[in-house]
Amino acid sequence: MATFFDTYGFLLVSMVLAAVLALTLYLPLMAGQLSVASPAFYALGGYIAAILSTKVFHPAPGLYPVSLVLLEMAVAAVVSGVLGVAVGLPALRLRGIFLALATIAFVQILGVVALNLDVTGGAIGIFGIPQPFSDQLHYMWLAGPLLLLSMLFVGRLERTRTGRALVALREDELAAAAMGVNPTYHKVLAFTASAVLAGAVGALSAHFINTWNSRQGTFDTSVNLMAFVLIGGSRTFVGPVLGGLVLTALPEALRGIADIGGMPVWLAGFLREGRLIIFGLLIAIGTVFFPHGLITPALLRRLGRRGRTSLR
Amino acid sequence: MSPAAAPPRDSVDRSAAALLVVEQIKRSFGGVTAVNRVSFTVNRGEMFGLIGPNGAGKTTLFNIVTGLTAPEAGRLHYRGEDITGLSPHRVAERGIARTFQNVRLFGELTALDNVMIARHVRTRSGLFAGVLGLGPARREERATREHAAALLALVGLADRSDERARNFAYGDQRRLEIARALALEPDLLLLDEPAAGMNTGEKRALSELIRSVRARLHLTILLIEHHVPLVMDLCDRIAVLNFGELIALGVPAQVQAHPAVVEAYLGDSV
Repeated sequence: MATFFDTYGFLLVSMVLAAVLALTLYLPLMAGQLSVASPAFYALGGYIAAILSTKVFHPAPGLYPVSLVLLEMAVAAVVSGVLGVAVGLPALRLRGIFLALATIAFVQILGVVALNLDVTGGAIGIFGIPQPFSDQLHYMWLAGPLLLLSMLFVGRLERTRTGRALVALREDELAAAAMGVNPTYHKVLAFTASAVLAGAVGALSAHFINTWNSRQGTFDTSVNLMAFVLIGGSRTFVGPVLGGLVLTALPEALRGIADIGGMPVWLAGFLREGRLIIFGLLIAIGTVFFPHGLITPALLRRLGRRGRTSLR
Repeated sequence: MSPAAAPPRDSVDRSAAALLVVEQIKRSFGGVTAVNRVSFTVNRGEMFGLIGPNGAGKTTLFNIVTGLTAPEAGRLHYRGEDITGLSPHRVAERGIARTFQNVRLFGELTALDNVMIARHVRTRSGLFAGVLGLGPARREERATREHAAALLALVGLADRSDERARNFAYGDQRRLEIARALALEPDLLLLDEPAAGMNTGEKRALSELIRSVRARLHLTILLIEHHVPLVMDLCDRIAVLNFGELIALGVPAQVQAHPAVVEAYLGDSV
């Protein structure tokens, strides 16, 4: 067990952080808004943490205080939230693919800005971000609760007045408005909640990854998050969480299978290096055969019913 | 009967009996005038029918009243307040609910969720109170659920609350849409062809439902319907639109005998 955690500590924390990021894409999607802006807020949060911890706080040598990491996460969340409202108000006037394009542009703009500013370290970025833990696995003490809280938040949200308003907008914006749901307010709310969460994850990730540069939170991240949500499921928060966990582990699992040996060289090579091809195939197959993803509310209801009857 | 010259602005009925005043409403799409300077008053407690051939502008008028379409000219007054140009959710907040000609339910959601969503303007819980499940929010959530269940029972769908709306038969979807509109606790209910696609038995049941709901909830109803017997049977007064113009307005018997109405429905050849 100990060797397992030694070997896979980095992967396990990455999986958990990916699951939280998947939720940041899911939140606007609850209201039917395909926004891929959250990697930009993730990048922003990371820069905030990197700058604060290396240039502002001047920590004493030794382990960096966890309380400061939490403070950075809070600052990143607030700044992302404010920017979220500012970007969301105009952007969410756009619909469908136009919103997606606008948010892609936003991700690109923030990337270019980060690449050209001095405070963000330009192309090199910021490195040597201080570590609050002696072991990467210990990041789980922050990432784990963050995932659980986010899941609790989004899961509860789905059963509240606000959550129902979001889902109503997704199902039929016009009918929702005619039933008294304010479309702009709720879309911006979901977008901002997503920005807040993405900013916090970014701040934590900056410490976890140890360096931060403009290659973090790019359009590639957007595509990954879309894969998590589309394959995992876009109609319940369980989908993105499982999508993020499983698809982040998948390349490692495939490498493990390739290492078993006894298979043709080309197949082993494909399993090791074909991650993007496999993701692409999964998205294509998924959207054709499981348009709402693998985990759907109907599936969860069925599982729940079976669970209850087997308990009796 | 036929609208004479446009009445001066002051002639708008602002008496206590008037709930909705439609005043000189005009809207065109491209070159086509869908609604042309239409004026009428719907009184409190009234069942007001809106009939006319296809393309007469009935649904456009509904969309204007509920804020989905902006009028080019004219004013709308609801309970004495000018509601012209308000966005749809603001109109709904004021107690105007509607159904749609093509049924616009939240298809992926259960019947119960469909109705619960429409409790939105009658409930208060904010994001955090709801997510944290604080006492008032939890009580409100329970009340919302009970209210929605009661409305499903009212339209005869009590035993199907967990089914997805898209799986309902057409007639049931229309009744579910009525339950959803009622969840808003409207004073004014706009029904856009509620009997479309129903057979004779279903139509009879529906008109019973509308009658009983109206009496129980003290509703004022504005009804678009193609099925003339249903309208004649249900409505206190009827307005007839043709090519966007109001051609007749009165009690059913008057309207039925009106030459312009006969012509609009049957053509010159009669």
